[in-house]
Amino acid sequence: MKLDARGDVRALAAQVLASLLDGRGSLARLLPRAEERVDERDRALLRELCYGGARTAPRLQLLAGKLLRKPPADIEVEALILLGLYQLEYTRIPDHAAISATVNAARTLKLDRATGVINGVLRNAQRSREQLQRKLSGNPQFSSMHPAWLQQRIKAAWPDAAADIFRANNANPPMTLRVNGARVSRDDYLQQLKAANIAAQPCTISPVGITLAAACAVSELPGFAEGLVSVQDESAQLSALLLAPAAEDRVLDACAAPGGKSCHLLEQQPSVHLSALDIDEERLDRVAENLARIGCDAELICADAAESDAWWDGQPFDCILLDAPCSATGVIRRNPDIKLLRREEDIAELAQLQGRILRAMWQILKPGGKLLYATCSVLPAENSEVVAAFVAETEDASDNTPQLLGGEPWGKPQAAGIQLFPRPDGGDGFYYALLSKAE
Amino acid sequence: MAKLEILEFPDPRLRQVAKPVSEVTDELRQLVDDMFETMYAAPGVGLAATQINVHQRIVVIDVSEDQSEPLVFINPEIEVLEEEIHQYDEGCLSVPGFYETVERPRKVRVKALDRAGEAFAIEAEGLLAVCIQHEVDHLDGKLFVDYISPLKRNRIRSKLEKAQRQRA
Repeated sequence: MKLDARGDVRALAAQVLASLLDGRGSLARLLPRAEERVDERDRALLRELCYGGARTAPRLQLLAGKLLRKPPADIEVEALILLGLYQLEYTRIPDHAAISATVNAARTLKLDRATGVINGVLRNAQRSREQLQRKLSGNPQFSSMHPAWLQQRIKAAWPDAAADIFRANNANPPMTLRVNGARVSRDDYLQQLKAANIAAQPCTISPVGITLAAACAVSELPGFAEGLVSVQDESAQLSALLLAPAAEDRVLDACAAPGGKSCHLLEQQPSVHLSALDIDEERLDRVAENLARIGCDAELICADAAESDAWWDGQPFDCILLDAPCSATGVIRRNPDIKLLRREEDIAELAQLQGRILRAMWQILKPGGKLLYATCSVLPAENSEVVAAFVAETEDASDNTPQLLGGEPWGKPQAAGIQLFPRPDGGDGFYYALLSKAE
Repeated sequence: MAKLEILEFPDPRLRQVAKPVSEVTDELRQLVDDMFETMYAAPGVGLAATQINVHQRIVVIDVSEDQSEPLVFINPEIEVLEEEIHQYDEGCLSVPGFYETVERPRKVRVKALDRAGEAFAIEAEGLLAVCIQHEVDHLDGKLFVDYISPLKRNRIRSKLEKAQRQRA
């Protein structure tokens, strides 16, 4: 039997962080379960500890390594030490309170035997933090706050942009809206926001995007429940724009959950016949919810996109949006647990999977049709390399990614497709390649 | 000593009913020591042999603050002393990350053999009573999720199955 840590914010945060360190589930899955187990007033702290702990873990792990004689035997002890260091370094919680509450959390978790180590490490950190930071400042894992393998990959791929990518990944992302152009213009909606005292700016690349000055609850957004706007990152908003299906086209959204891009396609071109497919039934429910809110309809299919024998009706598609499964290294600022969950060996596996799905999708695309390949990764191995190899081996495929959007250049052109980097006040890291199939 | 792998719900081996121990041997004492090591490392306050895929009636428990009260129950038998119901939020090393409120009798008497093979009996209430009942359930192939609604249980099942697939 395992004891419940109900009510103890730091103990619950340690359990979440330990699960991440152990590769057992993501923040999106673990945090809601932990939130149910604390008082309403402690939820913000729980969230900050979990998100902040994950975001800073690569740096704090190095710091802990310097402070510990040997690595802790227990993963929950390691998590408590990281959370203690996080509170000392990044919160305004007084040091003595941070330390004693973290030691108490160890007791809640029946880790009494580790209270001495935790207390010792945190007191030591308090005394020697500046000296240690100076010692570690030359270590790229420390300065970038990314695991060493990822830091090296990003640095090797983008020597000039790497520092900005790390900075953006470690910053808080803006809250961005997509205006439902079928219902209201962006200018009119900006007026509605102004009337509601919500400060906002139009996005620079997406013509339907609005960036809020500060995040707010969706319930405060005018017309949210009626589907006037949705929450979606600016870079993600470019998919419907790039694919640009014509009226009445048969369109497939191949990895659709949670459905933001499907909704956008229908807002932009309401007469398309859209099939939204996803492998995860639970996540497909989210697609249904999102479609219902904006008042649109699509055929929902729960299947593995690459196994078209199992679900395809034999009618080729005019347009396919393939938002391929990826490392999500472009959205680390929204999902800092990526830093802990992703392993270097995942990348080659993902690239293989991406190539496999891309080839399968090509088979069900109509000659003369177009396919938009998208990822939220910043690693060329999953992006331009996958697409360039595919175009080279596929006679009827050509890269047709527009270099201009709304008359303006966007992103960084690659051998195939265009790469977007995460920007502190702008969109997430994304990759797009628009491929045309010869008649 | 060795840390052992703990089976996770919905593994069918957790449903197997354990057989009584016929003789307390040195080999069995070694197993008991490994079970303590596994339980303390997890960390947990109780572990049944079923959870490490050994289908004999052995339970180890330590509900103390500082690992100072290890208890061994071989062939435990529970007698309910007070029918009055006690609610407790239980978690389980075989159902990682989930906690649910379970109702059980408040006070029980347990008869068992100890590590030396000697018969003993104790009365338990509070956390110890909860824990003993939780662990003896394991020996009978039962889990704490059997006491909650099928809807909640299925949700836990699908989430754990998904996590297990992702690790595989």
